[in-house]
Amino acid sequence: MNTVEVLLVLVGIPLAVIAVLALLTLPGGRKRTRYKPGQPWDHAPVWYEPHPEHPVDTGHGPAPSSGPAAVPGASTAALGSSVYPEQPGERNTDSQDGAGPAAGQGASAHGASVAPRRVDAGPLGGARGTW
Amino acid sequence: MTRALETESHDTATEHTAASRSEEAEQSRLDEIFTFQELARLDEALTMSSRETGLRFTLYIGDLGKRTRVQAEEMHARSGAHPADSVLIAVSPGQKVVEVVTGAGASRRLPDRACALAVLSMTTSFANGDLVGGIINGLRQLSDQAGHPASLRRH
Repeated sequence: MNTVEVLLVLVGIPLAVIAVLALLTLPGGRKRTRYKPGQPWDHAPVWYEPHPEHPVDTGHGPAPSSGPAAVPGASTAALGSSVYPEQPGERNTDSQDGAGPAAGQGASAHGASVAPRRVDAGPLGGARGTW
Repeated sequence: MTRALETESHDTATEHTAASRSEEAEQSRLDEIFTFQELARLDEALTMSSRETGLRFTLYIGDLGKRTRVQAEEMHARSGAHPADSVLIAVSPGQKVVEVVTGAGASRRLPDRACALAVLSMTTSFANGDLVGGIINGLRQLSDQAGHPASLRRH
């Protein structure tokens, strides 16, 4: 074995193994940073709400849409929205106002065209926590 | 991992037509905060706990201002047509505050003590950096506490 072969075996092969392992394990192009406590939260506010319950459960077939494309009062949905029903609130991740998203979506999902208005809920309860 | 909206647009849209579904997904970046998998878990937890209990659980994630309780209660009042029977979970990760607001009807089935217990388990997860897990555990505790009313039983 001359010097070149020694170098290839003793340096080249370990480097190749390291490179393969690094490619397999290092996360590539991870754009979403995981939340860590104490970090500032610079995302737009989001408001998620549950899917409205449909009285007619179709069982199989495409999921009923709950988005604005659905016909109010019927279980009919527009064709475009039948495969991936719109998630109320998810569309509005870019929305800038905090009070808007879900209530507006919910109102349109039920066919009413009202802006989110204040409804008195009586004596409120709940809890508060910090971490 | 399979992405839910991993399709390219092949439509013949012009500048006068609305954006297609796939283009909307690219523009709005639905998975900016959470992955689609996490979003699906959140969606299922919210929907199932709401159907199980008959209460309406909504989840807000974002800044709550200086007076967090006041803003959370204000948002609860605007959260839908029947806020008395709805529960708002407002999480402000930047301020490290979580507020649970229950309406008058909901607080009969979810006493403040139960909410405090759920909040405690949520904050434990949040302090470890697990937002989704904490929210889902909190929702599970709240819906377990509220129970399944007889009027909702169909079979």
